[in-house]
Amino acid sequence: MSTESRFRALVLPHLDAAYNLARWLARDPHDAEDVVQDACVRALKYLDAVRGADAKPWFLTIVRRAFYDWYRSNRSPEIVRDDGLAIDSAVDESAIDPAQAAERRGNSDALEDAVGNLPLVYREVLLLREMEELSYKEIAHIVDIPIGTVMSRLARARALLQRSPFLRAIVAERAGGRP
Amino acid sequence: MNCHEAAPLISAFADGEIDRVQSRDIKTHLEGCPDCGKKHRDILDLRSRLRAEVPYFTAPPALRARIGDLPRTTPTRSADRVERGRWRWLLSGALAGCAATVLAWIVGTSVLTWRANEDFVAQAVQAHVRAALNNHLIEVASSDQHTVKPWLSARLDYSPPVPDLSRDGFTLTGARLEYLAGRSVATLVYRYRDHTIDVFVRPESSGAPPSAPRTVRGFNAAHATGSGMSWLAVSDLNPEALAGFVGRIARGPDQ
Ligand SMILES: [Zn+2]
Repeated sequence: MSTESRFRALVLPHLDAAYNLARWLARDPHDAEDVVQDACVRALKYLDAVRGADAKPWFLTIVRRAFYDWYRSNRSPEIVRDDGLAIDSAVDESAIDPAQAAERRGNSDALEDAVGNLPLVYREVLLLREMEELSYKEIAHIVDIPIGTVMSRLARARALLQRSPFLRAIVAERAGGRP
Repeated sequence: MNCHEAAPLISAFADGEIDRVQSRDIKTHLEGCPDCGKKHRDILDLRSRLRAEVPYFTAPPALRARIGDLPRTTPTRSADRVERGRWRWLLSGALAGCAATVLAWIVGTSVLTWRANEDFVAQAVQAHVRAALNNHLIEVASSDQHTVKPWLSARLDYSPPVPDLSRDGFTLTGARLEYLAGRSVATLVYRYRDHTIDVFVRPESSGAPPSAPRTVRGFNAAHATGSGMSWLAVSDLNPEALAGFVGRIARGPDQ
């Protein structure tokens, strides 16, 4: 199979997944395009190495790597300790305008904001699980962490979301508003 | 199972990632414990909200068009790609212009984090190193596939093909058995110039195979499936050549 037909068969079907991941990690449409473009150039170089069944996690591994390379050269690093203590400090509540958060009440953007404000280490596993529906094993490969760490990071990502100040108003409203 | 034991597993249970035996225990606990039951429902509730309220961004058409043109607009497998951006530093060093080194470096930075079947690859590399150090690479020495194949079949519960790739410069030098991941594994030994290549051949059903090439302790590993087998090649040969070799060997003689 030619390089072009392999590229069509193995990479292009996962372009939406790649863009969605890059967009959620970079949180900017133009940056996401740059990351995806870079990832595709890299994928093209190593097409021979991948089997069809593994193409999606393989390609997302490259997208994630391309994102972090872009991130390192464009933004100051986000430091989050991967331990239990990180949870409470992971979302900086003082940085969030309470009036703005309240304004979001009842607005479905609240959850979007909460996901977007998760620290990267939690955001990426949550996206790969809830949006791409990948298995823990696949996520472990993509993020290059043990499966046990995937499990604990996902549990923390969910706990963070449920406690997110972006969502708190809404959760309270839902709890009180239901019969 | 009590709350203390159940709590760390609820999230993974909601993802269907807990084995069947433990799942039964957790389910029983969730049904009987209002606190843990609520935690579980909250995760499912969060999931349906994520699917309903959080956008999935699809690739813009202009990006898709640009990416679709990439194979035609991007030269592949040549050293001139190195000139792009942050790879420029390579040109200034002794590595300049060496395509194989550039490729190895690219693999190192972008693909090697992809670690499928970590244990098996690590074990295979360890076996390769051990055999080379002890000068015990070969248990049956023959360049004849018709000698090596029956030797292996007589010692295994499967019968691995022994492809002849001498026309491509890969000479069969023999085979041995390795005990990896709980079973005996056929190990074919090939030579390419001054490189020794171990090929670990298992029936394709033996668990999820490793995928992209990677480097373990300075050795390269590349994997392919084909002819009903899972083929893992380990060598100090450069990753691109190794990946090409293992792809060809897996496809078998017909193609
Ligand atoms: Zn409980």
